[in-house]
Amino acid sequence: MLWELVGRFVVKNALFLATPSQTALALAKLWNEGALQHHSWVSAQEFLLGFVLAVVLGIPIGLVTASWRRPAAMLNPWIAGLYATPVIALAPLFILWFGIGIWSKVAVVASLVLFPVIINTDAGVRNADRQLIEAVRSFGATKLQLFTKVSLPAALPFILAGLRLGVGRGLIGVVVGELFGARAGLGFMITQAAEVFNMPQLFAGVVVLAAAGIVLTAAFQALERHLVPWNFE
Amino acid sequence: MKLRIGGLTKAFGDLTVLENIDLAVAGGEFVSLVGPSGCGKTTLLRIVAGLEASDRGEIQIDGRRVTRPGIDRGFVFQADALLPWRTVLGNALIGLEVNGARGAEARSRTQALLRLVGLAGFEAYYPRQLSGGMRQRVNLARALAVDPEVLLMDEPFSALDAQTREIMQTELTRIWSSGSKTVLFITHQIDEAVYLSDRVVVLSRRPGRISEIVPVTLARPRALSIKRSAEFTACVERIWRLIEDDVRRSVLDEFA
Repeated sequence: MLWELVGRFVVKNALFLATPSQTALALAKLWNEGALQHHSWVSAQEFLLGFVLAVVLGIPIGLVTASWRRPAAMLNPWIAGLYATPVIALAPLFILWFGIGIWSKVAVVASLVLFPVIINTDAGVRNADRQLIEAVRSFGATKLQLFTKVSLPAALPFILAGLRLGVGRGLIGVVVGELFGARAGLGFMITQAAEVFNMPQLFAGVVVLAAAGIVLTAAFQALERHLVPWNFE
Repeated sequence: MKLRIGGLTKAFGDLTVLENIDLAVAGGEFVSLVGPSGCGKTTLLRIVAGLEASDRGEIQIDGRRVTRPGIDRGFVFQADALLPWRTVLGNALIGLEVNGARGAEARSRTQALLRLVGLAGFEAYYPRQLSGGMRQRVNLARALAVDPEVLLMDEPFSALDAQTREIMQTELTRIWSSGSKTVLFITHQIDEAVYLSDRVVVLSRRPGRISEIVPVTLARPRALSIKRSAEFTACVERIWRLIEDDVRRSVLDEFA
C-alpha cells in the first residue's frame, strides 16, 4: 500500500520508482512474452548448479577440517581468507575463464556459497558435546562410530543453517555474475531494464528474486524440521 | 571377586589425584564411594570404565585386566548425556548398536528394560520432552541395556530434586535386587550412600586414598523409613565424622 501510494503521489517520476501495479503489469507482460520464464530458468540453473557444487564440496571439506588437525592447519587460513574476500570482485575473472554462458555464473554462486557451508560444517562437528562423545565411547565405540553416531548428527543443524545462509549469498552471486556479462537470466534482465530506465521491468526482476529467496528459505526451514525434529518437537 | 582395583595411582601433571587405591568388590555387591570434592572419586570411576588411563596399578574384572571401555561395564553419567536427536528407545539402544546388536531381540529386551525403569509409553519421546528424573531413568536404562556385569554410577541423582531423588533411590534398589549387578556408586550424599550400599568406601582428600571402608549392616529390603532409624543415623554420623575435616578444608580451599 505504502509503496503504491509513494509511487503514485510522492515520487511521480516513473524514472525513479515503479508502483506495485506497474510492476505487476510488467510481470504479466514478461510472462506472456515468455521472457520471464526464460530468464528465470537460466538463473535457476545457475543457482542450483552452483549451490549443489558448493554443498558437495563444502560439507566434505568441513568434515575433514573438523576431524583432522593437519588438513585443518593447511586449509583454515585459505578458508578464512577467501571467506572474507569479496568474491564478487572476482566475477569478471570468472567470466573471462568460463565464458559468458552459465558456467561462469555457476562458479560465482559456488564460490559464494562454499565458505559458509565449510565454516558451518566445521563448527558443527566441533560443537559436538564432549559428554555425549564420552557417553557413547563408554560402550566401546570406535572413532568412526563416534563420528557417525555423535559428531555428524550434532553437526546437522549447523550444516543446514550454513545452507540457509548460502541461499542469500547464492542469489546475490547469480545477479552479480550476470551483471558482468550474460546473455540471459534475471540479473541480465534487470541490467537491461536499468539501461533503458524501464523501472517496472527492473522491479519485476527484483520481485521474482525476492520471492525465490523467500521460497528457498522456507523450503530449507521445512527441511530442517524434517531432518532435525528433535529441535522442534 | 568381580571387580578388583589394585595399587591404582593417577596424577594430572604435578597433582596426584589418586594414590595406591586397593579395592575388591564381590559379585552382586553394592559399594558407594564418598569423599570431599576433589578427592578423585570421578577419576577413579572413569579409570574403571576405561575412559581414563591410570599411571600405575590395574583394574580387573573376573580376573581379566581391563584398560579400555567395554560392555562388561555400564557407565551412568552425572549429567544425563542423552543424544538429543534420538528418542528414548534410540538412546537406550545405542550401546547395543555400537556393539553390533540391532535385531528385534535387542529391541524387545530394551523395551522391557524401559518398562523396568518406569518409562513404558515414552519410547518415542525425545530427551528434551522429558523431566530430569525421566532423563536419568533413560540414562540408567541405557547403561543396563548392554547387560553389564558392573554398573558404574557417577552421582547419577545429584541433579534431581530431593523427592525425585528418593524415588530414584528406591527404584535403583528395586532394579539392583532384581538382577545380579555389581554396583560402584559415587555420591556426595552420605545418607544416599548408606541407604543404597552394602559397603561405603571413604576417600580422603587429595591425594585420594581409601581412609576407611564402612560396612552397612542394615537389613534388606530397606524401606525409605529406615532413614529415620537410629542405626541408619549412627552409620551416617560415623561416615560424616571420617570426612568432616577434609570437607571443611576443601570448602575453605574453594573460597581461598
